[in-house]
Amino acid sequence: MAAAEAAGMIAIGAGLAVGLAGIGTGLAQKDIGAAAVGAITEDSKMLGKALMFMVLPETIVIFGLVIAILAIFTM
Amino acid sequence: MFLPESMSRIVIVGANSCIDETTEVLYDLESIHLIDQTVDADEGFTLGTPRPYSSKAAERLLKVRGMEKDLGINKHTKTIPISESEIRSQITSDSVESIEKEVRICLDRRNDLNQRITDLNAKKKNLELLARLPIDLDMYAGYRTISSLVGTVEADPTKALADMGEVYASIDKKQGSIVAVFVKNEDKMKAQSILSEHGFSEIVVPEGKGSPKAALDAVNTDLDASNKELEVVQKETEVLFEKHKHFLRASDEELAAETEKGTLPIRIATTKYTFVIDAWVPTPEAAKVKETIEAKVSGVYVEIEEDRDRRQKSSDEAETRFKTVPTKMRHGKTTALFEYPTKMMSIPKYNEVDPTVLISIFLPLFFGFMVGDVGYAIPFIILGAYGLKFAKNPDWRAIATVLFFGGIWAFIFGFFFFGEALGMHFIGHYEEGAVTYTWAGLLGLDNLDNFFGSFLMNGHGVGKIDAEYVGMLLRLSVYVGIVHLFIGYVVAIYNKTVQLGFKHGFLEKGGPFLIFIGVVLLGFALGFMLIMTDHALIEPLHFLGLDLSIALSFTDDQLLYILGAGIAIIAVGAVLVAKSEGAMSILIETVDAFGNILSYTRLVAIGMSKAGMALAFNYIAIGMIAGISPDPAVAGSSGILLVIIGFILFCVLHLMIWTLAILSGGLHALRLQLVEFMIKFYEGEGTEFTPLKFKHIKTISNKNVKEA
Repeated sequence: MAAAEAAGMIAIGAGLAVGLAGIGTGLAQKDIGAAAVGAITEDSKMLGKALMFMVLPETIVIFGLVIAILAIFTM
Repeated sequence: MFLPESMSRIVIVGANSCIDETTEVLYDLESIHLIDQTVDADEGFTLGTPRPYSSKAAERLLKVRGMEKDLGINKHTKTIPISESEIRSQITSDSVESIEKEVRICLDRRNDLNQRITDLNAKKKNLELLARLPIDLDMYAGYRTISSLVGTVEADPTKALADMGEVYASIDKKQGSIVAVFVKNEDKMKAQSILSEHGFSEIVVPEGKGSPKAALDAVNTDLDASNKELEVVQKETEVLFEKHKHFLRASDEELAAETEKGTLPIRIATTKYTFVIDAWVPTPEAAKVKETIEAKVSGVYVEIEEDRDRRQKSSDEAETRFKTVPTKMRHGKTTALFEYPTKMMSIPKYNEVDPTVLISIFLPLFFGFMVGDVGYAIPFIILGAYGLKFAKNPDWRAIATVLFFGGIWAFIFGFFFFGEALGMHFIGHYEEGAVTYTWAGLLGLDNLDNFFGSFLMNGHGVGKIDAEYVGMLLRLSVYVGIVHLFIGYVVAIYNKTVQLGFKHGFLEKGGPFLIFIGVVLLGFALGFMLIMTDHALIEPLHFLGLDLSIALSFTDDQLLYILGAGIAIIAVGAVLVAKSEGAMSILIETVDAFGNILSYTRLVAIGMSKAGMALAFNYIAIGMIAGISPDPAVAGSSGILLVIIGFILFCVLHLMIWTLAILSGGLHALRLQLVEFMIKFYEGEGTEFTPLKFKHIKTISNKNVKEA
C-alpha cells in the first residue's frame, strides 16, 4: 500500500513538473508569439528570427520534462 | 577557415580620361569592395558626377523595361543569348529607339482598340435596355419645354409619376428595369426626386436616329469588327514578342550594367583631371588585382596601402571610413550551405571567428541525435537531397541542408546506437508488461538478431524510454553540452586574443570560462558524492561498434580535492569577471553555466518525447493491423476494415511525428547553436564583402569577351 502510494505521489509530482512548467512556457510564448506575428507581418524575412525567439522559453518545459523523467525512472 | 578572409586596402589613381576603362576592369575583377568617398573626406577632392552616357542608358533602360512590361516579357522568358559586342553595337545604332517606334505603333493600336471595345460595350448595354421601350432614339432630346429623364430603376415609378407627364417603363427584375419619363421643364426637379426614391440611375442615350434595335445591330457589327481587329493586333504583338524578346532581355541586362557603371563616379573622389578610388581587396588577390588593373589600363596606378590585421587597435586608429573592414566568409561548397544560420544572427566581424564551420558540425549532429530513428531519417535524407538539388530560395535551401546532413546523422544514430525505425527496435525481446513491438518480431525475421546483435549496445540498442538507459542518456547529453560549451568559451578567448592580445583577451573572457570549468568540476564531485553512493561511475557506451564505455571511481579524498579545485577555480573566475564586468555578473555567469549545461538535456528530452509518441501510436495502429498483442500468447486476427484503418492511422500518425521532428528537432538544434553556444563569443554586426560585379542572367553570351 505504501509503495503504491509512493508511486502515485511520484506520478503526480511528474505530472505537476511538466504541467506547471508547460504553463510557464505558454505564458512566455504567448507574448513572444504575438510580437512575432506582428514582426512577420511587417517583414516576412523575420520568420527565422521569430521562430528562434519562439522556442526560447521551451527550455523551461524541457527542464520540467527532465525532472519528470528523473522522477519516474530513477526514483 | 575560422577567421574571415584577410583584407588589403588599395588606392587606384588615374586620369579622368580612363575612368570608363577602369570601371570596366573593376567590374570584371569581381573582387573590389568599394569604399564610399564621403563629402569633404579629402581636401581638394569632390564626389564625381555620373558619366555622360549613363543618363542616355538610363533613358533607354526605361524604354526597354516599358516595352518588356507591355509585351509580357519577364525573367522567365527563355531567350537566346546575344554576344556582348553585338548587343552594344545594336544599342549604339539606336535599335532601342527604332524597336520602340515599331512596338509603340502596335501597342497604341491595341490600346485604342481596347478603349473602343470598352466604349462599345457600354453603349451596347444601354441600347439593350432602351430597345425595350417603344421610342426612337431621336425622340429623347430636342424639346424646348419638355425634359426627358432616362435611366434604370429598382421599383416601378409609373403610378407615382402618372399625373406629371408621360412615363414609359419596362420592368424586369432579372435584366434590370428601365424607365423613360417626359415631363414639363418646371416639373423636372419634382420628377427627379420621385424617381430617386425608386432607385433611379440615369443612363446616357446614344445619339442617333431610328429605333434603338437598329442602333444595337450597328453597335454589334462594330464590336465584332473591333474584336476581329484586336485579334489581328494581338497576333502582331505576339510576333513582336518573338521577334524582339532576345534583344530586349539582353539590352535590359546590358543597359542596367551601363547605368550602374555610369554612376560609379558618384561614389569616388575626383578632381578636375584625376580620380581616386579606395577599395578593399582580399589580401591573397591584392597583388594580382594591382597587376591586372595596371596592365589593362595604361595611366592608372594602384597602390596597396595596408594589409589590415585583426587587432582592435588598427581599426580604432584608422580613418573613419577605413575602420570597418568587410567580411568575406571563407568556406568550401558544403560548409557554405551553413552560412544561413550564421547570417540569421548577423554577419561576423572581420576580426572574429566565423562560427559557420562549427555550426556545420554540430547542427546536423544534434538534429540527428534528437531524431535518432532510421524510419524518419530516410525521408529526411531524400527530401533534403531533393531540396538541395532543386530549391533556389535560400530559406528552403537552408532547411534542405539541415534535413540532408541531419538525416544522415539520424540514420547513423538510429542504425548503430538506438537500433530503431519508426519507433520500433529492430530486434529485442518481448518483456512482461511492456508494449514494445520489434521489426524482427513483426516480420518474423529471426536472423536479424545475429546481424544487429553484433554491434548494437546490449544486443538490441539503446531504448530512448527504457528506465535502464534514461540516466545514461541524460548524462550523455550533459557531456555533449560541456564539450560544446567548452568550445564556445575557448573561441571567446581566442577572439579577444586576436583582437587585444592574450593577456587582455584572457582578462576579459577568461572569467566566465573559469567559472564554467569550476561549475563542471563542482557538479562532477557533487554528483559522485550525493548520487553515486559507491563513488563509482560505470557508463557502458557502444557506438558504431566501438567501445566508448567509461568506468571511473574515486576515493572520498580525491572527490574532496576535485570539489576544492572546482570552488577555487570558480573563485578565480569570479575575481576576473568582477574586474571586467562588475560583481553582479558573477551570479549571472554561474547560473548561466549551470543552466546552459542542463539546457542540452533537451537532446534527450525531445528524442524521448517523440519515442513516447511513436510507442503509443504503434501500439494503437499495429494492434489494429495485426490484431496481435505484443504478448505472443494472445494471438488474434482483425477484419479487413480494421487493417485498412490501422494502416492509414499508422501512416498519418508517423507523418505527424516526422513533421514535428523537423520543427522541434530542427529548431532546438539551431537554438543550441545560436543561444547557448554563440552567445559565448559571437558579436557579429560585420559588413558583408560585396564586390563590384554583375550577376549575369545569361541573356548576353560572353564568347566574344573571352576571345578578346
